[in-house]
Amino acid sequence: MKLILSFLKPHRKLCFFTILFVIIDVIGALIIPTFAADMLNQAAVSGADFSALVVTCEKMLAAALISGAATIMGAYICADLTSKVGADMRNAIYKKTLSLSVSDFRSFGTASVTTRTVSDITNIQFALLSCFQMLFPVPVIFIVSLVLAFQKDIMMGGILLGILFIITIVAGIVMKSTAPMFKKLQKKLDRMSKVLLENITGVRVIRAFNKEESEKKRLDNEFGDYAGTSIKVNKRFAILDSISFFSINMFVILVYAFSGFRITAGHFQIGDITAIIEYAMLALFFLMMAQMVILTLPRALECCRRISEILDFSPTISDMTDRRAEEDKNSNAVLTFKNVSFRFADADEYTLKNLDFSCRRGETTAIIGGTGSGKSTVASLMLRFNEVTDGSIYLNGADIRKMPQEQLREHISFVQQRAWLFSGTIAENLRYGNPAASDSELWHALTIAQAKDFVEALPEKLESFVAQGGTNFSGGQKQRLSIARALVKKPELYIFDDSFSALDFKTDAALRKALIPETKTAAVVIIAQRISTILHADNIIVLHEGEPVGMGRHEELLKSCPIYKEIYDSQTKEASENE
Amino acid sequence: MSDRKNIKFDKEVPENAGKTALRLFSQLKNQRVRLIIVGICIVFYTVLNVFTPYYSAGVIDHLLTAIRNCVATGESFSIGNGQLGKEMLSLFIMYVMTAVFYHFQAYLMASVAERLILTLRKQISNKLNKLPLSFFDGNKPGEILSRVTSDLDKVSETLQTGLLKLIAAIGTLVGSMAFMFYYSRLLTLIFLAFTVVSLLVTKAVSKKNLECAADRQQALAYLTGIAEEYYTGRDVIRAYNHGQESIDTVNTAVNELREATKKTDFLTNCVNPLIRLLSRLSQGVIMLIACHWVIYGRMSLGVAQAFFQYINMAAEPLTETSYMINSLQAALASAERTFNFLDAKEEIPDTALPAVLKNVKGKISFENVSFGYSPDKILMKNISFTAWPGQKIAVVGGTGAGKTTLINLLMRFYEVNGGRITIDGVRTTDLSRKDLRHNFGMVLQDTWLFGGTIAENIAYGRPDATIDEIKAAAKAAKVDYFIRTMPQGYNTIIDNDAANLSVGQRQLITIARVFLCNPPVIILDEATSSVDTRTEAEIGKAMKKLMSGRTSFVIAHRLSTIRDADNILYMENGNIIEQGSHKELLFKKGAYASLYYSQFA
Repeated sequence: MKLILSFLKPHRKLCFFTILFVIIDVIGALIIPTFAADMLNQAAVSGADFSALVVTCEKMLAAALISGAATIMGAYICADLTSKVGADMRNAIYKKTLSLSVSDFRSFGTASVTTRTVSDITNIQFALLSCFQMLFPVPVIFIVSLVLAFQKDIMMGGILLGILFIITIVAGIVMKSTAPMFKKLQKKLDRMSKVLLENITGVRVIRAFNKEESEKKRLDNEFGDYAGTSIKVNKRFAILDSISFFSINMFVILVYAFSGFRITAGHFQIGDITAIIEYAMLALFFLMMAQMVILTLPRALECCRRISEILDFSPTISDMTDRRAEEDKNSNAVLTFKNVSFRFADADEYTLKNLDFSCRRGETTAIIGGTGSGKSTVASLMLRFNEVTDGSIYLNGADIRKMPQEQLREHISFVQQRAWLFSGTIAENLRYGNPAASDSELWHALTIAQAKDFVEALPEKLESFVAQGGTNFSGGQKQRLSIARALVKKPELYIFDDSFSALDFKTDAALRKALIPETKTAAVVIIAQRISTILHADNIIVLHEGEPVGMGRHEELLKSCPIYKEIYDSQTKEASENE
Repeated sequence: MSDRKNIKFDKEVPENAGKTALRLFSQLKNQRVRLIIVGICIVFYTVLNVFTPYYSAGVIDHLLTAIRNCVATGESFSIGNGQLGKEMLSLFIMYVMTAVFYHFQAYLMASVAERLILTLRKQISNKLNKLPLSFFDGNKPGEILSRVTSDLDKVSETLQTGLLKLIAAIGTLVGSMAFMFYYSRLLTLIFLAFTVVSLLVTKAVSKKNLECAADRQQALAYLTGIAEEYYTGRDVIRAYNHGQESIDTVNTAVNELREATKKTDFLTNCVNPLIRLLSRLSQGVIMLIACHWVIYGRMSLGVAQAFFQYINMAAEPLTETSYMINSLQAALASAERTFNFLDAKEEIPDTALPAVLKNVKGKISFENVSFGYSPDKILMKNISFTAWPGQKIAVVGGTGAGKTTLINLLMRFYEVNGGRITIDGVRTTDLSRKDLRHNFGMVLQDTWLFGGTIAENIAYGRPDATIDEIKAAAKAAKVDYFIRTMPQGYNTIIDNDAANLSVGQRQLITIARVFLCNPPVIILDEATSSVDTRTEAEIGKAMKKLMSGRTSFVIAHRLSTIRDADNILYMENGNIIEQGSHKELLFKKGAYASLYYSQFA
């Protein structure tokens, strides 16, 4: 609710007009039968004047035109308002996610954030539209019809008040009793989807283990459960529906029954019967429309909660200053780790402990370790995708927390473990870090990245189309293109996070050789699992369960670091045994 | 930046509405009695609903006479036991009955749609087990999922609220028009004229609306594409300081969607007011004429009043019907997609009299096997090899060489196009699939865990296993220590997309699963590709234990793990181009040897 209000606020004017037009619409709907009743009353009087009737009819037509125009304008403004709210929400979400750290974002998950950005907001927007168009008119029509009814006759107004009161109470009770069911229903729907998805993605395993029967049972249980709860909810609404219908019918009877007394007593006219019955019918009609909206509300509220969850998330990392920090241009070390430890916000254990090293210009620093040793986390700390828990990291002598994130990242080219390319052309992708690069610079980078041959073989070369994520290229090709992209940027620090693993050994070796002259003035960090990739690094840091257990050159580590030796053996021993 | 022409989205119009509707209706067989009662209720409800204004016309006329009499004689008004009193009572009964019938149909109908959907969903879960694996290769999980969830929910929603209303609406429309016609042909014709105009307007707006809806779908798909792309490539965007540019691109896509949404929503919401406007105008004109007739005694006041009620009664279904037909169409389109799924080609059924295998030794032969994912594109040609009981067979080769296909054929996930595969001399197609697969323990590259406890996941192939057996299997797979550090140990609930497990840990759990099953043949499809070499060496020891005495098939990327295989099959483009032991193949200096040296250079 708070979320919706805060997004409606900037569009106050539109809100005002939407509400105004809804009210005009409702008044129009009620004033038409009122005029019709007047006409009947005029006709009922013996010796009636036809020209007076024409005047009333003109009024009625005018009312129809005015309220019709207002309703259509209202529909337009309402669509404008709700689509704007949806757009604002989407922009806000996207902007917000950019400020989240890697672990913040991971706690939501890519798929979930995409769903929230797209379909959740579509749901909210639709619900908001329906609320304005169908839910909001209900109290309005209740009030206006009561006012008009009381104007006609106090007694009739009183009866209508009583009936509407009963309906409101019943509606309230049904809503309240079904609200928790709706929540349950949503959960069951999620569960159903989850189990189903498990069945689809796990089809090989299920068949391999002969579990078809039990999986079918599991699915059918979920389906049955969902259907059972839905039916319960539907039944409650059916009851509400019938009670409302019954009450209105009773009202009609009461009107007929009492009208004789009231008319003879001079409080009421015969045509007013039509008017007052029509009021009640319209109120009922609007109420039934509103019921359909109410069915969709719990889902929309859940979506709101999911949106708020992102928007209210306080990111673990934010720029503490807009001012660029003073860098020491002569510093030999581009990036320095001083006693860095890192722990995820919700974890008890440290992921990384006591890291102390420098990445110097012209040198290659390698980080090696098994799965879960925290290798990739080191890269995320370097880019300030995650914030150090203890210690500090310096870029050219300045603490990276004391500069805008942009300043830090200007100096770095980062190549991910899983290469990601954007849809567009190869050239667009390569110029990602350096829009001013010339074509020859691009070819140069491709040559070093061992990607020249296959790009040249493409009919459109640099202008070749790249699909989203680069899916029209093989894993190795994507990886080489992303390496070329990093080279085009010409940064002071390269981070290759397991970037060579998708390449075969020959390409890996050729690429690393070509990299050496290219990165003479820059610092290079290679994170790897394969020993052969990092054999010649100037400084190898061996990570084991988050802690550095060895640091030095290959030969030194073979002697001094048992874990390094173990990794080395597991990758090479058998081969050497055989020759 | 992305290609916008190839975006696919679900159609809103069914291809064969009649056939789909009939088929949907035939699914209601088991609810026939309920439906008949509902149908009777609707008929009575509609008839009463239409009849009451007619009846009330007479009542009002009598009422008016009575009132005039009272005013003239100065007596106080009373309904009394006379004609008027009886009429009032019948009117009361009619209204009560209308409400009762309304209640019955609403209450009974509350379960009809959901039950129908449940029947369909159960058919789907049954179907899932009968579909060949190739179906799952060709269809995205999300698409199958939406057949079961959103598509069927749409059908249910429409059936629930819509279908009955549509029937009742048509009945009411026809009925009230009949009474109107009975009262006055001229007035009815005026009403009809306005109706025709409003139908034309509706049609024009709906047509425009469909176009706009298509635009919106396109804009939505485009935004989804961008969101997926940018969220997945988030790290790259941030590392290259492209935040602002990406915000601008997202803004553009969002605004495009906003415009399309605004148009569609407006058009959807302006149809009803337009129809209502026209019907109100017709009411004005008709009332004027009717009142004119009342004054000159050509029509009674009660009839004029009834006529007014009938106009309202006929106008409302008109708006409802136009709205309903759209959503009914969309629902039928959804139902059609579900039926298409249910009609998808199924696996060849098991043989009627399957052979029974006992005490399997594990001799497996491929004899001149040919296979292609489609018969006109044969991938594998005449493959032959034999795995003797207890042998370790390694399958190596590049991506797309057909390694996994080989395993899929062995498990009979796919049918061979030629030749035969035998286990202990028995053709695999002569066995029931269940019996065949019972002999294999498989660990796949894609780990798959289901929502449940770790213990349940390990015991997947043997739900009757004791906790000690489960623990022993976990120990053998080197995962026992890790499980014990989890909050609830073996009872920790995990998910298929569990964030609390690393890829390696998930893999170990699936390995434990096979340990527990103890099958005569083991298949490892890149089972350790996601764990680091050190852990791999650890698991390797356990694997060795698992494989000893059993026939095993190992697909591996890292050749270090398969060096000790009895027979290595080197595959390329679906065919085995070299086979033999490690030493033989190295000696041959062929494709295997060069691959091997490239890894250990």
